[in-house]
Amino acid sequence: MLNMIKADFYRIFKGKSIYIALIILLSLISLSCFTMSPGHIGIVATDDTSDVVYDEELNQKLSDTNSIIETRRLVKEYGSYPIDKLQLGANINLYYFFIIIVAIVLVTDLSTSTAKNTLSSAISRKRYYASKLITCLLLGTGLILINNYVSYFLNLIMNGSKFSSGILEITKLTLLQLPILYGIISLLVCLGFCFKKSANFNSITIPLIILIQLIIMGIASLFHFDASQLLNYELQYILANLVTNPTTAYLIKTTLLGLIYIVGFTTIGYTVFKKSEIK
Amino acid sequence: MNKTVLKTINLTKKYKDFTALDHVNITIHKGDIYGLIGRNGAGKTTLMKTVTTLTEKSEGSFQLFESTPEELTESKRRIGCLIESPAFFANLTVAQNLKYYAIQKGIVDHRQIDQALTLVDLTKQKNKKFKNLSLGMKQRLGIALAILDNPDFIILDEPINGLDPIGIKEIRDTLKKLNEEKGITLLISSHILSELYLLANHFCFIERGKVIKELSKEELDLECSKCIVIQVKDTKKATVALEKELHTTNYKVIDKQEIRLYDYLDNSAHVNKILNKKEIDVISIYESGISLEEYFDTLIKEENPSC
Repeated sequence: MLNMIKADFYRIFKGKSIYIALIILLSLISLSCFTMSPGHIGIVATDDTSDVVYDEELNQKLSDTNSIIETRRLVKEYGSYPIDKLQLGANINLYYFFIIIVAIVLVTDLSTSTAKNTLSSAISRKRYYASKLITCLLLGTGLILINNYVSYFLNLIMNGSKFSSGILEITKLTLLQLPILYGIISLLVCLGFCFKKSANFNSITIPLIILIQLIIMGIASLFHFDASQLLNYELQYILANLVTNPTTAYLIKTTLLGLIYIVGFTTIGYTVFKKSEIK
Repeated sequence: MNKTVLKTINLTKKYKDFTALDHVNITIHKGDIYGLIGRNGAGKTTLMKTVTTLTEKSEGSFQLFESTPEELTESKRRIGCLIESPAFFANLTVAQNLKYYAIQKGIVDHRQIDQALTLVDLTKQKNKKFKNLSLGMKQRLGIALAILDNPDFIILDEPINGLDPIGIKEIRDTLKKLNEEKGITLLISSHILSELYLLANHFCFIERGKVIKELSKEELDLECSKCIVIQVKDTKKATVALEKELHTTNYKVIDKQEIRLYDYLDNSAHVNKILNKKEIDVISIYESGISLEEYFDTLIKEENPSC
């Protein structure tokens, strides 16, 4: 299994895709830090800057200007909020980078039929599944760490300590978010094994986040539930809530949810893959 | 007795209502070059995919290197495969693609990559990206991967597809060399019978998922070669006559009534005259001999009269 992971790393870093993904990620982080508006660059729909307190005067001044430079000057003068921490609250943006990782590691192998070269030799399906999942988790962890710590350092350099929450806080939040982020990667790996072909995988995974929200809202309105309660356990809300001092009960619930995702989706994915024909 | 490399016992593969493999029983011994012949969709690839576990069997069983089902994964380590079209990573070069699989297989000595490329004559193209290779080169790279790990058993699905005549000859020579020098057993499928005939020493004809004939090269030669078929009431008396009067031993007694004579091919009348002179009751005498394609066609028609 170690050989398979090593081989995948060799292949991935020989290609361009991973570097393109990294450049895009770093550009997004830089832009977010420079505009001092975490969560506004990317796909986030939640208000994860809720703990940003602007006074009315500042709000007025901000709405009067269209210049990023002027916005930066005004926020620096009047505002004070942890941009790096809020950046972590918008980590659902990583979802699309996880899609890229799963596509490079797994879906390419299945859709181009190169998987048959591996599976017809001494690699069993169980080891194949496990090694692909581990490779995705390792690359995903790398991406999360790059995202979180580059956000921290870049913010510190660009905006100063007034807008920073400290490296320990970032480390704590990173660890809190890991179970649910791993759950998301496990879900994507499961979908990769279920759909195999790149086109199918992309068409399912790209709108999935929006679909999940729509389904939750639909269920809430159909059965007269409180949608906000349900949404608290939706992926992007969890990530946003985890950076805003959640209760211990919420932490336990979301950690458990992450673990359930990992175990559940791995079981489903492997069961489907075990029976499928390798083309 | 030669060790068994692959043995299938009533191996069956069903896709819903369609039976792709129907109780297939074949045995491949060490050192064989086993040719699998069948029309498109006959079940050749399904058989190969089943024994390499790329698809699950529905019924029956198979053994690789006389292993138990528990030892199957380990036994698969001794196999090299090229099944269906060769598939590699388009953005990687020839050498990078092989290095990827070398790392995966735990091959420490990367000189094996160069050796495999030399064997299939791809050394000059080692830095060319896979997407820029011709179909024939892709096919050779597939064979290079199959032999990369110095396997004991190579499974090749239509390996000469897309190759030019010189390429076909080179691949044939390479495979023969691997078989003769390294004792590698080969299972090769093709629908080009004449090409497979030049390589294989055992043949298995497959149609609609069923094995319709399994025979050695000698037996195939016998079935196809030109001869005079003599049907007599007493073969013993007839063979004595052939040896004493026609001075030939180039014949084969097929059963109680049939002899095949491989001499006097354009003079069956003379043979008939001699036998009559010796008062041997000749039931019938005729010239026979068919091409491999005709033989294949006959087998298919016997199995499936509507064809």
